[in-house]
Amino acid sequence: MDNSLTITVKVFRFDPAADKSGRLEQFAVASAAPLSVMALLAKVRELDATFCCRTSTCFKGRCGSCLVRVNGKDAFGCTTLVKPGETVVIEPHSRYAVLRDVVVDFSRPLAAEGEGGQ
Amino acid sequence: MKITARHQTDVLVIGAGASGLRAALAAAGAGASVILTNKGPLARSGITLTAAGGMQAPLHPDDSAALFYDDIIACGCGLADGDLARTLAEDAADRVLETERYGVTFVRDAAGGYALGQFPGQSRPRNLFVRGGGIGLAAGLAKACRSHGGIKVIDDFLVTGLVPDTRGAAAGAVGLGLRSGELTLLAARAVVLATGGCQWLWATNDCPADATGDGIVYAHRAGAELVDMEMVLFYPSVLVWPPSLKGAFVHYEFLASDVLDGNIYDNAGRPVLPKPLPVRDEAMRLLARAIKDGRGGPHGGLLWYVGDSPKGAAAVAAKLDILQYNYIRAHGVDPATDRVEVAPGAHYLMGGIHIDPDCRTSVAGLFAAPECAGNFDGANRLAGNGLTATQVFGARAGLAASRRAAENGGAGPDPAAAEAEAARVAARLDKNGGGADLAALRDRLRAAVQEYAGVGRDAAGLARLARLAGETRAELAAARVPDTGVFNQRLIELIELENMAEIAGLVAGCALLRAETRGHHIRDDFPARDDDNWLRHTLVTRTSAGPLFATKPLRG
Ligand SMILES: Cc1cc2nc3c(=O)[nH]c(=O)nc-3n(C[C@H](O)[C@H](O)[C@H](O)COP(=O)(O)OP(=O)(O)OC[C@H]3O[C@@H](n4cnc5c(N)ncnc54)[C@H](O)[C@@H]3O)c2cc1C
Ligand code: FES
Repeated sequence: MDNSLTITVKVFRFDPAADKSGRLEQFAVASAAPLSVMALLAKVRELDATFCCRTSTCFKGRCGSCLVRVNGKDAFGCTTLVKPGETVVIEPHSRYAVLRDVVVDFSRPLAAEGEGGQ
Repeated sequence: MKITARHQTDVLVIGAGASGLRAALAAAGAGASVILTNKGPLARSGITLTAAGGMQAPLHPDDSAALFYDDIIACGCGLADGDLARTLAEDAADRVLETERYGVTFVRDAAGGYALGQFPGQSRPRNLFVRGGGIGLAAGLAKACRSHGGIKVIDDFLVTGLVPDTRGAAAGAVGLGLRSGELTLLAARAVVLATGGCQWLWATNDCPADATGDGIVYAHRAGAELVDMEMVLFYPSVLVWPPSLKGAFVHYEFLASDVLDGNIYDNAGRPVLPKPLPVRDEAMRLLARAIKDGRGGPHGGLLWYVGDSPKGAAAVAAKLDILQYNYIRAHGVDPATDRVEVAPGAHYLMGGIHIDPDCRTSVAGLFAAPECAGNFDGANRLAGNGLTATQVFGARAGLAASRRAAENGGAGPDPAAAEAEAARVAARLDKNGGGADLAALRDRLRAAVQEYAGVGRDAAGLARLARLAGETRAELAAARVPDTGVFNQRLIELIELENMAEIAGLVAGCALLRAETRGHHIRDDFPARDDDNWLRHTLVTRTSAGPLFATKPLRG
């Protein structure tokens, strides 16, 4: 596959009914244009409908619906850009309990508000 | 799958955008117990978060509720119900300022007063600006709801349908708890729908993906009257490319000679818009026409450009140094220097559930508040009236629902109806899934709505859309998804797509019926406004044989 037309994504998979812990699964997303992490996750969902991610956007980079962990750092998925040719690891945001895959439960923060992160 | 969880409340509010949040506060303030549900996490989903933050109130010394009322009626091309427009104009100042009690703040001028902007259609400066935009508004109201002892928030919760009591009055809802995977019955003495619009139906729109019109369909299925479902407001310049910016918008207004003096160009570099810049509606028609004539770019849009502004690079940079342009910049596109590919996109739903000034629908015990409600704008909407309406009618819906709850002894949800709704959802589950390609059906439907019910419609296209919506519903009937329990996103999407397909048929039917051009409903085959025949709502009701399309007189 042409490297300049592909983004390699390793996404966190976790099924609360079956898994004790999560694992990373790799997908190759075809794209000639850079994609936001949020758009990338939507593309992964098109490749594998069992993969779950939040899809509601505010178009401002402020609401936090898109919070995930990108290459080991908590980030806003809607404004974090990945270029064709790059490899990216996307995991659930570190400060909330995981529901499924990269979807977290925003009503269950794992750490006190105001500590780093968002 | 069966109902395995149950909650009881006086007032159930479905949807926690600015309307639902305000309704919950009003109902709880009147002493009712309230359950506030939301499909996504609280204050992290819904259209309100995308709002720029303009909010109208007649606070200027030369302004008045009467002038505001006149502007609403004129902008709506005479199609708003007079009593709702009057209510909106008269309550606006109090409800808008009241949001400050919930921690919402407004931009102020040098003298310490509210900075008031004046937008097209506003005969006086009337536009306040919420700090932090829609996110600031939602954050303040959400905090007030969370800390109110009378309001129980159940978010990440998808309502799948309303449940009546044995006499047909609204008595609650069934939904899917996304965190638990449980089918849940929410029993209530009164229900407020505040579920927002259905703009996600259009392939090009500037709303979040959860704007699928669920509540409007549920109201229709419960027997409530819907009006003017053809009335959708389009914004001229919504991004169609690159993929991760699809749905963001750039200001049409900034192209004016006295602002940045830019233009929108076709694929041959020819400007599409004359100067002086035409009003938004006219511009939108010119853009849609140019796209239909094949003058669009590689992704179906036209090129918005301010890079050669005679005002100079510094002026452009200063004007575009706001949140929404910085968001675009974060995606590697610089709107100050790059050509940005745009097309008219669905922005706001004027039509919806028919209400009276207390937000009562035609179903007892069922109330509806702003964007999912239908008859307070007409055929177009003034800038800043969307958010004001959330507060005016949100508060009225909450109060009226709390009164209804107090009077209603509460027969409770009809168990058979609750079971039937649960069974309807459960029937979609099968461990092997299958039956239909949901993504393909969704994309086909959204493309057809864009093409046939976008800017510029005609009878042949609308009939095609009605047919396709019906076919999509038939194909969806066979679709099954596995029961994965917690956060079953395929089930969410199947339910949303069913709702969208049903609404697409209602939009097509109403648009077909209204054989005239008014506001944002542009019929290429009926290009003139026809006040003799069409100062009426289109009306859709449910019958056992399917939707019935008719008309309904305006209220004065
Ligand atoms: C880009 C943009 C900019 C705008 N800017 C302005 C502006 O500056 N000024 C202005 O006045 N207006 C503006 N508007 C319009 C205004 O923002 C909206 O009309 C208003 O916010 C709608 O509020 P709402 O509470 O009715 O709906 P929403 O904010 O959409 O809230 C509805 C809620 O219901 C939930 N819901 C939906 N279905 C279900 C279900 N089945 N079960 C449970 N929950 C459900 C959703 O998750 C959502 O949170 C703008 C609109 C857009 C798109
Ligand atoms: S979607 Fe709102 S901050 Fe990313």
